[in-house]
Amino acid sequence: MTHHRHSQQSAPLIEIRDVHKSFGPVTVLRGVSLSVRDGGVVCIIGPSGSGKSTILRCINGLMSIDRGTIRVGPFAVETLKSDKALVPLRHQVAMVFQQYNLFPHRTVLQNLTMAPVQVLGENPAAVRERALALLAKVRLTGKQDAYPGELSGGQQQRVAIARALAMQPKVILFDEVTAALDPEMVSEVLNVIRDLAREGMTCVLVTHEMRFAQEVADEVFFTDRGVIVEHGPPGTLFQNPTDPRLKAFLEKVL
Amino acid sequence: MTLDFSWLFDPLYQTWLLRGVGTTILLSLLGMVLMFVIGIAGAALLHLKVRFLQSPVTIFVELFRNTPPLVQLFFLYFMLSEIGLTLTDPVTGGRIPLFTGFTCVVLSLGLYNGAIAVEIIRSGLLAVPAQTVEGARSLGYSRLQTFRHVELPIGLRMSIPPMTSNIVSLIKTSSQAVLVAVADIMYGATQIMLETFRNLEVMLLIWIIYLVIASIAVLVVRRIAAAFRIPGYGS
Ligand SMILES: Nc1ncnc2c1ncn2[C@@H]1O[C@H](COP(=O)(O)OP(=O)(O)O)[C@@H](O)[C@H]1O
Ligand SMILES: [Mg+2]
Repeated sequence: MTHHRHSQQSAPLIEIRDVHKSFGPVTVLRGVSLSVRDGGVVCIIGPSGSGKSTILRCINGLMSIDRGTIRVGPFAVETLKSDKALVPLRHQVAMVFQQYNLFPHRTVLQNLTMAPVQVLGENPAAVRERALALLAKVRLTGKQDAYPGELSGGQQQRVAIARALAMQPKVILFDEVTAALDPEMVSEVLNVIRDLAREGMTCVLVTHEMRFAQEVADEVFFTDRGVIVEHGPPGTLFQNPTDPRLKAFLEKVL
Repeated sequence: MTLDFSWLFDPLYQTWLLRGVGTTILLSLLGMVLMFVIGIAGAALLHLKVRFLQSPVTIFVELFRNTPPLVQLFFLYFMLSEIGLTLTDPVTGGRIPLFTGFTCVVLSLGLYNGAIAVEIIRSGLLAVPAQTVEGARSLGYSRLQTFRHVELPIGLRMSIPPMTSNIVSLIKTSSQAVLVAVADIMYGATQIMLETFRNLEVMLLIWIIYLVIASIAVLVVRRIAAAFRIPGYGS
């Protein structure tokens, strides 16, 4: 069940080829390849420590890679070294984190407007208008003058999603965005992501919410110890897993 | 033992005391400005790991933080008067020394408490969560922009409690001004004691005056802290 047009013939929006990454003696990624088409929704699942967050951080250049290539739209990410060179990439690739990573000293509205104004140099009045519309979209109208510390976890995470959207990105990377939330707040965040996916936003989600992955993803990638062990449409991957590691993982989490 | 405060009603002594209080406050305020400039600049250079400047900053901090401020003041005073830089007074046309006792006290306060401020602000910066910084980086903020818009505003707020003691320390240390013949409150007190011999009473008054100045400073900092408090953040 998917709501996306399938344009398999056009070049993918994100293409990762044979990416390797080590932290000192610890090898975290050992040849990861995956691609995401424009408008696609991809989920990455796998045990803790298998390199899921690292893959996301490499896609937007928060981490450099040792070997391989990462292409996002027109950008060859591994060639972008300076902060300045990374700005256009980060304009297109936004990220939402497990711990929200909001700016605690700024109001909700300022959290949304800061980067478009300070980084992208956009007109403050126009950004403000867009930000208010985004707050309405994530159902937080009226909270614009609150500080992040005054909101619940679910509300903060919706602010973080709105902050990502305020950059008008082509892709949003979600890193276990519901993992720190109390159970009753998970669905309010997942609803927002579901809406985005339906509207055609390209999403890469690292998640432990298997039912949600099954519902929204076009393709699911299973990582274990720095490699992608198996990938495919959610139906196949969840119902007919072939790799024993994936079988064991699914038995544990489902 | 009876305390005699009748000298307090002498208008001359009142003038000395008031001028002295004014000078002490001015020394302290200028010292604080310099302290903040040095503290923020030094902490920024260390935090941003600016090549070739990290070691000089570390040496500066250790040198000024770990030696008596009085020695630093005398050293500055003798060294700078030795160099003997002078200015031409625009009014009289005479030559006046560039580094007066007053200038030396301000410099000395700024350097001593500034060295401590470097460490205080640096700890504040280190207390900013890595996730907050990563959030900024993911939005395209450069290292410097992240520092300016995210780390510094949060880090400075975190450094307010230890900075309050540093400010009080600066005010107290300003009493050294008397030793390089600057007419601060201690100077006024010394003059009054020489004329009245009411040493105990004069010192009691000076003690109270410092207590009042320091308490006002603490109250002002508390006001500032309250105005910049981050709602719902920390404790
Ligand atoms: N900045 C880092 N420095 C050193 N090791 C790291 C760093 N980031 C991640 N790692 C290590 O890389 C491995 C994979 O981490 P991560 O990508 O966060 O896994 P996952 O998100 O799948 O749980 C872990 O063993 C982790 O300890
Ligand atoms: Mg992770």
